[in-house]
Amino acid sequence: MMSSSSNSLALKLALTLALALPVTSVSTLAMATGIEIAKAPPSAEAEFPFDTPSLTEQASEAGLDHVYDGPWEYFVGGGAASFDCNGDRMPDLLLAGGANPAQLFVNRSLAGGALEFQSQDLGLGQNRSTKVLGAYPIDIDNDAVTDVVLLRLGENLILKGLGDCEFAVANRSLGFDGGRAWSTGFSAIWEKDAKRPTLAIGNYVDQTAPGSPWGTCEDNTLHRPVGTEGTYEVTALTPGHCSLSLAFTDWNNSGQADLRITNDRQYHRGGQEQLWQMRSGSPPRLYRTAEGWKPLTIWGMGIAQADLNGDGMPEYALTSMGDTKLQTLAEEADETRPHYRDIAFDKGVTAHRPYKGADLKPSTGWHAQFADLNNDAHLDLFIAKGNVEAMPDFAAFDPDNLLMGNGADGFTERGAEAGIALDRKGRGAVIEDFNADGMLDLLVVNRGSPTSLFRNRGARADWGHRSMGNWLAIELQNTGANRNAVGAKIHIKTGNLNQTRIVQIGGGHASGQLGFVHVGLGVAERARVRVQWPDGEWSHEYRVFANNFTVIDRAEDSAQYWYPR
Amino acid sequence: MRRFALTLGIAIGLGQPLMATAAEHENPIWNERTAAIGAVSSTPSGTLSRSELEQLTKTGEALFSAKFTTLDGAGRPRATQAIIPTKPRHAARLSFARTSGPDANACSSCHNDPVIGGAGDFATTTFVAEGFTLPDFDSTDPQFSNERGTNHLMGAGLIELLAREMTSDLHDQRRRAIEKARNTDAAVTIALETKGVSFGSLTARPDGLADLSKLEGVDADLVIRPFGQKGVIGSLRQFTINAMNAHHGMQASERFGRRWTASADFDEDGYEDELGVGDVSALVAWQATLPAPVQDFDGNEEWQTLAQKGRAVFNDLGCASCHIPALPLSSLEFADPGPLDAAGTLARGQVQDAAVYDLSLLDWARRLPRNEQGDVLVPLFGDLKRHTMTDAANERLGNELLAQRFVDRTSFATAELWGIGSTAPYGHRNDITTLDEMIRAHAGDARRSRDAYAAATDNDRRALIAFLRSLRIGGR
Repeated sequence: MMSSSSNSLALKLALTLALALPVTSVSTLAMATGIEIAKAPPSAEAEFPFDTPSLTEQASEAGLDHVYDGPWEYFVGGGAASFDCNGDRMPDLLLAGGANPAQLFVNRSLAGGALEFQSQDLGLGQNRSTKVLGAYPIDIDNDAVTDVVLLRLGENLILKGLGDCEFAVANRSLGFDGGRAWSTGFSAIWEKDAKRPTLAIGNYVDQTAPGSPWGTCEDNTLHRPVGTEGTYEVTALTPGHCSLSLAFTDWNNSGQADLRITNDRQYHRGGQEQLWQMRSGSPPRLYRTAEGWKPLTIWGMGIAQADLNGDGMPEYALTSMGDTKLQTLAEEADETRPHYRDIAFDKGVTAHRPYKGADLKPSTGWHAQFADLNNDAHLDLFIAKGNVEAMPDFAAFDPDNLLMGNGADGFTERGAEAGIALDRKGRGAVIEDFNADGMLDLLVVNRGSPTSLFRNRGARADWGHRSMGNWLAIELQNTGANRNAVGAKIHIKTGNLNQTRIVQIGGGHASGQLGFVHVGLGVAERARVRVQWPDGEWSHEYRVFANNFTVIDRAEDSAQYWYPR
Repeated sequence: MRRFALTLGIAIGLGQPLMATAAEHENPIWNERTAAIGAVSSTPSGTLSRSELEQLTKTGEALFSAKFTTLDGAGRPRATQAIIPTKPRHAARLSFARTSGPDANACSSCHNDPVIGGAGDFATTTFVAEGFTLPDFDSTDPQFSNERGTNHLMGAGLIELLAREMTSDLHDQRRRAIEKARNTDAAVTIALETKGVSFGSLTARPDGLADLSKLEGVDADLVIRPFGQKGVIGSLRQFTINAMNAHHGMQASERFGRRWTASADFDEDGYEDELGVGDVSALVAWQATLPAPVQDFDGNEEWQTLAQKGRAVFNDLGCASCHIPALPLSSLEFADPGPLDAAGTLARGQVQDAAVYDLSLLDWARRLPRNEQGDVLVPLFGDLKRHTMTDAANERLGNELLAQRFVDRTSFATAELWGIGSTAPYGHRNDITTLDEMIRAHAGDARRSRDAYAAATDNDRRALIAFLRSLRIGGR
């Protein structure tokens, strides 16, 4: 049974599904369960006074033609990696294709201009470029050229970036065992004093186990570096509960990241959401109920984290079928007790059913990501939505959500007004400023239909589009290992408002990004920025002007400015 | 065709005596509201004709002179003086306070010497504080605020136009350097200079990064912000919105309205949308069209003769290296909103068409000299650049404790000297009563000129001051 918040006024709909279809279709898979459908949250109908970004779909015009598709194994996955592969600081894209080949698209957009991408051969060949479910960028070997981890049905691959958007498979040279599992999630962190990152691979169903797929979840794996070069040591994270997303996270602001995993109750039996305690040099261990961890079982698809209340400890959006969860530490929690309560209803982000159309069946949520798409200094929450394939008890038309931060009250759905309510089955996504105009664009990988690329044009006006709030883009350059400062926290102060961004690799749904961190500043024309570097050391204050791309190099006294073409 | 709409009430006030009876019903003389508020009911756009501009500026003058009342929304019980909408932790104890504000009833309460739009003496100093952590202070102790004299606004439109052109030049130079670095795959260092003013140098790298460590007197974004003693405010529009909130508790919707704060009454005084876009536009138009100061001797030939000598002394002592007598301006078309306004101030990207106020329609502007290229020579006696004004031997101008918006406490924008003969006292705190004292207070980057002045003959010093006192604020 899905956990319910005490004030959610949830209605329970007992859904019993026919189990007669073949196992190659998820819609045939057994699901006899109770699904809670929350009533309309209080803010859903509220007037939204802030700007709603106008997001215009133009993938085809931008040269980005791509479809993620395939049989049952690819009902999940459908990720995207956004990163700079040729040193021009513009975000390029590597898109998972499932049964179709993964594709690389080099960003040719000019600052403020039309979105423009050019397909470039990944150089992997047919066998290795297919069966890809997800992709995450990371500079594993610390050579300032971004590498990519491909999550696959079968052997996972580390693609070493060679520059000029060329790659080579580097599993052997990096000592990485890609395994043979059905991999669906990834996260990475540099543990204390480590020169190379620890990699966490989330795995789904073990198809070779007797009785598969029910109750046959594959273990997740933790890959810790051995020595400064050499190999990775693999640790099974047992038990696995059919994970679809995982994320290293400093949940208690201790400076030590633990590993949060969201799991799909569709296939696990007796499983739950997980938080693994990570201590350098020690094997990971699960937080227990006795330590405050509250069992929660959902159809976990994606994780997004952001510090919404400014207490230094992130909140977590967990996508699922039916209600999305939004967790915050409860009063009973302390730095050793990860006790969470759900505030999704209070904040208006349950997003439990389509906000448009007549289909009132429950939604199916996948990628989740916090970002400020209207630059008003309030974080928004994007959720990719889409039926697994043809599950009759879930909404068939299930548009992606754009839940826009409305200040202290929570979030308001503006997906339809923004223009993203397409009839496509969303999976992975990336929110990124693809044309360096200071406004975040949106890429959504859809299952069985074209990938969507939405250009953010600003707020609609009678005469066209008008500019929105001020913004800042920040790139961190760490000294030594972990050059991209994964795990760093960026504190942006404008007036009395403190915003925090976390540099992370992981979470979402099979999708990750690396590059400038975008911050909406509202009406502030300048900001004070401090960085807590991954080793815990605080930087001095950097003073920067709004509406600029800035680069904070740990070795430099002042922030540098970057100017796109 | 009119490029903006005036409501009936103010049209009467502007000399269009149609339907006076109806207007009086709308706005009887005994009404304690400010009639000019809301008079410009649409956002001006396009190039205004002379008569349209006159109408708009008359409304602006009425707003600038209005003593705002609580019926207009004056006061800000639940908002601080901050430039970002900010709530105080506690309601202010007083509705008016000479320290933390609101500290004036009208713009013209301070900007009135010798004319409306002019400067103010020591009685009108204001206490500048960010308004974030300690918004409500009742002390003049410099640990809480920087005390600032009231500057005059004459010729302010020309100043902003110069700043825009200079910013455009610097941005062009930066863009070309970055482009060259990318194309040649090598770092490119350029001197940044516009209108004869150097702003240091910049090194562009092939990866599009710029090394800004050698900039001089300008912010890292290479935006010339010409207003305020520190040179931290980029436009009259931004300044107007800041000042209206800080000094009067009159909040402009384009920053404090629902779009940014979710409230039409952010300061919780019971009045929504206190100043609309049209109100701010009228205020900007009036300030932007204020005539430039002139050189005038009241017909006194002895003064004129002495001042002519003083002008030469001014150059000889090196004063003109910062107080540059005139800067060339290529266009007199003042667009509002301007190209550099950003969110929180009505910005170019937020309107279909900006309003354009063609200053060449104005008699005083047509009288300005031009160079061979046809550029207007703006006689500002300034460089729109910041300089260090103190050193170890003399810290008189460094008597503040608080940096202001990233600008060090010893650094100030060069004061434009035009109009200085009409705007005693002097200094950023208006606490220096004579020009002689003011010159001797210079230090830091001005040390050499200051010492040269101190070493000059009495006659040269007298001539210099005669010259400076001839830079006066005249009529339209």
